Amino acid sequence: MTTARSHEMNFLAPSVVRTIGTRSLVIGLIFAVLAIVGAFVRPGDFFHAYLLGFMDWLGVTLGALAFLMVRHVTGGTWGMVIQRIQIAAMRCLPLMMVLFIPILFGLPHLYIWARPLDTVADKHLREHLQEITQTYLNPHGFFIRAVIYFAIWAVLVFFLSKWSAEHDHPPMRDTSARTKQLSAPGLVIFALSIGFATIDWMMSITPGWISTMYPLIILIGELMSAMAFCIVIESILSRYEPMSTMLKPSFAHDHGKWTLAFVMVWAYFSFSQLLIMWAGNLPEEITYYYRRFNGGWGYVGLFLVVFQFAVPFCLLLSRPLKRDIRRLAFLAAWIMVMRWVDLYFMIEPNYSETFRLTWLDIVVAVAMGGLWLAFFCRNLASRPLLAAYDIHAQKVLEPVHGGH
Amino acid sequence: MTQLLEEVETGRKRAPVIEPGHSFSTVTAKISDVVLKRPLSIGWLAGVMFCFGFVNLLLLAVGYLFIKGTGIWGITIPIGWGFAIVNFVWWIGIGHAGTLISAILMLLRQTWRNSINRFAEAMTLFAVACAGLFPLIHTGRPWVAYWMFPYPNTMGVWPQFRSPLIWDVFAVSTYATTSLLFWFVGLIPDLATLRDRATNIWVKRAYGALAMGWRGSARHWSRYETAYLLLAGLATPLVLSVHTVVSFDFAVGIVPGWHTTIFPPYFVAGAIYSGFAMVLMLAIPIRSIYGLKDFITERHLENSAKVMLATGLIVGYGYAMEAFMGWYGGNRYDAFLLWNRLHGPYATWYYSLLICNIFIPQVLWIRKFRTQPVLLFLVSTVVLVGMWLERFIIVVVSLHRDFLNSSWGMYYPTKWDWFTYTGTLGLFLFCMFFFMRILPSISIFEMRTLLPESKVKAE
Amino acid sequence: MNEPAIYGLMAEFDSADEIVAAARRTHAAGYRKIDAYSPYPVEELWEAIGFHHNRVALVVLIGGIIGCMTGYGLQYWVANIAYPTNIGGRPFHSWPSFMIVTFELTILFSVLSAVFGMLALNGLPLPYHPVFNVERFSRVTEDKFFLVVFSSDEKYNETETRAFLQSLGPKSIEEVPS
Repeated sequence: MTTARSHEMNFLAPSVVRTIGTRSLVIGLIFAVLAIVGAFVRPGDFFHAYLLGFMDWLGVTLGALAFLMVRHVTGGTWGMVIQRIQIAAMRCLPLMMVLFIPILFGLPHLYIWARPLDTVADKHLREHLQEITQTYLNPHGFFIRAVIYFAIWAVLVFFLSKWSAEHDHPPMRDTSARTKQLSAPGLVIFALSIGFATIDWMMSITPGWISTMYPLIILIGELMSAMAFCIVIESILSRYEPMSTMLKPSFAHDHGKWTLAFVMVWAYFSFSQLLIMWAGNLPEEITYYYRRFNGGWGYVGLFLVVFQFAVPFCLLLSRPLKRDIRRLAFLAAWIMVMRWVDLYFMIEPNYSETFRLTWLDIVVAVAMGGLWLAFFCRNLASRPLLAAYDIHAQKVLEPVHGGH
Repeated sequence: MTQLLEEVETGRKRAPVIEPGHSFSTVTAKISDVVLKRPLSIGWLAGVMFCFGFVNLLLLAVGYLFIKGTGIWGITIPIGWGFAIVNFVWWIGIGHAGTLISAILMLLRQTWRNSINRFAEAMTLFAVACAGLFPLIHTGRPWVAYWMFPYPNTMGVWPQFRSPLIWDVFAVSTYATTSLLFWFVGLIPDLATLRDRATNIWVKRAYGALAMGWRGSARHWSRYETAYLLLAGLATPLVLSVHTVVSFDFAVGIVPGWHTTIFPPYFVAGAIYSGFAMVLMLAIPIRSIYGLKDFITERHLENSAKVMLATGLIVGYGYAMEAFMGWYGGNRYDAFLLWNRLHGPYATWYYSLLICNIFIPQVLWIRKFRTQPVLLFLVSTVVLVGMWLERFIIVVVSLHRDFLNSSWGMYYPTKWDWFTYTGTLGLFLFCMFFFMRILPSISIFEMRTLLPESKVKAE
Repeated sequence: MNEPAIYGLMAEFDSADEIVAAARRTHAAGYRKIDAYSPYPVEELWEAIGFHHNRVALVVLIGGIIGCMTGYGLQYWVANIAYPTNIGGRPFHSWPSFMIVTFELTILFSVLSAVFGMLALNGLPLPYHPVFNVERFSRVTEDKFFLVVFSSDEKYNETETRAFLQSLGPKSIEEVPS
């Protein structure tokens, strides 16, 4: 019976996906032109904004990969309905690789260790840099390590995507054992690689400052971005077939619960880092928060506390909201905006003691987002929205029974 | 086709959560008979007496401590936090698995937890009791420990809320209260079952009084379910916060080896790691001695082993990040700490820790080690030893050589340290022995809900 | 003694399916003062007897808010007004440090309200209850399901109600003495 149903249905993405893709491409290109102009007019601001935009959209890409692996390991029907969205998102990795290249040209604008060391005024920091640039923090190491990170992610994306595509054709199969065998060690390798990538790309902006929690804050933020993105996309698709059949309130409920969990863990990680550094009050650490509490940045921090944690947390406690995909999608879209604000709060105060928001911060993020979305829509449209010949996908097609 | 799907759903390769062929009556009988009908066995008595010996050792150690003071321990300056704090963290970590199983797995709708949550919660309670003892006696004057609570007093003094040690008082006491209530609420319907099945009038009255007149009314069940679900929802962040606060005891201080931001999640993962090891060490003998293999199946062992593997990897991630940052950050004290762990006087302890916590547990990637009870028991033992060593390394190695080398020192635990520690092990097992005999060690009413006939079919 | 000698009529069922169906029909027949008893929670059952909302969550919410305010208020008052102490130069109002105890007390108060609120709303502990007078009722904690129509119900009439319950196909019907 289920077989019959999967044959009857057409799981191709609705045409709206292509429309969104085209529009995103247009917007992305227009903003990209503006951004390129900005790159010549204000290269400093451009690269700061570029790193911000890159980390934001890389977060969605890698978050989707990590989240897919989590689902492969733990199982659960809630993941089937967004699996192809996750796969399309993680298949944007080639785009992110290309977009990484400009960062290599902006190293001196971004990282103090990439500049001539005589320009560093702080004696203590200069001594530290003299040592660390010999062995670790130098453009060559940075490049080689980036290649390794991208290679790891690319391998994971390649196999998970390929194996999923095999389910588009008969016969009906169960390959969960194979995906599990890759995903479990994959998650371990992923956690390490994203940890070191975060240290390279973001934490090394301030080389004397270290926090062992910092990579985890980025990691959980990426998972949150990916979940929020999937909710937004599934909500748009749910107006059309086949998503209107696939998406049950109970799945939306589960997605809402995941979002709630991520919001809470994000707050937990961020607050723990703050409290430990605030209470320790060591000069090499507290500078991070000293900058972010003063010069107008404190308001951004407060904004994050309220709108990245408090408001989403309270709203997500509501069961009706979690089961209503439309309302949930508004919240998810908001969370995606807040992800940008969070990264902005992590990156930009390193470059300016007082509050500073340039037009490039927004333009570059939108340009990258447009290109990314266009690429994503191409990926999404290239395959059915459900792996119809995956034995686990059948449950998605069962009629609604009450929920829980 | 449908058959294939069913095979996938029921887990072709995995054992079921409850062996087939049971009904409401047999589940009820099988679990409650352990308490009501099983005769006293020589083995049980011997076990209790053995543990009672250690309880007496604990009493002796604590009694002598009250007479002489903490000088009988190996603590000195600079190592003011010796065994007492190591054991405190170790015990409270073990307790965390109980709450995790009862609360978090419930929220995740992992019904396999239903057969292990009761004794895991009991384990939590006894572990927290053992844990709480240590900071109490470590204060030196436990009879005035209530000074740590905020209450109006003639001295006009109030607690200092910027100290993580005061946070600990609140966190641990909230945790103990919540664990006790959560456990008791879960027990109410089962106490009513025992009340109705007991034949001895005094036993009946005792269970009856504890069951508080529970009669299984649908209205009561409705409120009960809501309350239980909310308790699970509250206990989940609570259990994370408790070990987080324990980690703050260290991380808020600026001692190298303590002051690192990853400590909260890394402590929580370590707690769950050791807790699941203890759950397995208890579950494996219990299921074979009391004939509960139908309810605590291979599936439970395997799932617990997987949780252990995952949390162990998080702990490993913590070690890796800490070591890397020690080198990368360029702080000379952090770098020295790393060197001292690897080459200092406690290096053997550190390598043992790595072997026990990181290397040996990797065998859990192999399925056989997750399902074979004896092997799993051994791995769990190794993990518990490893997690104890971890706390020893954190407490002692960080303190014994800090900023100023004129004040370096060594820590040598005395026999009283060991008496107290082994005494709490005895106390813990002593309580577990009694629990097994006077309360149902598996939640009967939740097991009923796992049976296929419990579901109401759509009309 | 104004109370009637009979507390109600009790019908016994073998399965959750049967009692849920019976409870629905009883409720549909206009009986309102009814209760059903089961050995484990059956969500459909409390819905069937017309008990849709309980107030436990509300009690917990109120408890949590009180706990949160108590926690922060206590610390603020102690650290700023009652006993201000300079600890390592940190401000009296050390809000990051105060988060922990605030959180713990929020949880503590919520938990206490959940447990004691649930017990209070359920009217427990209750040492005596008429349903325990029926001997077979002891099986409710094992494998049997019971439906009771209280004699205080407006529609209650001993013979008619008994006949109605009989039509539901129970295993047995018994009077519950008061």
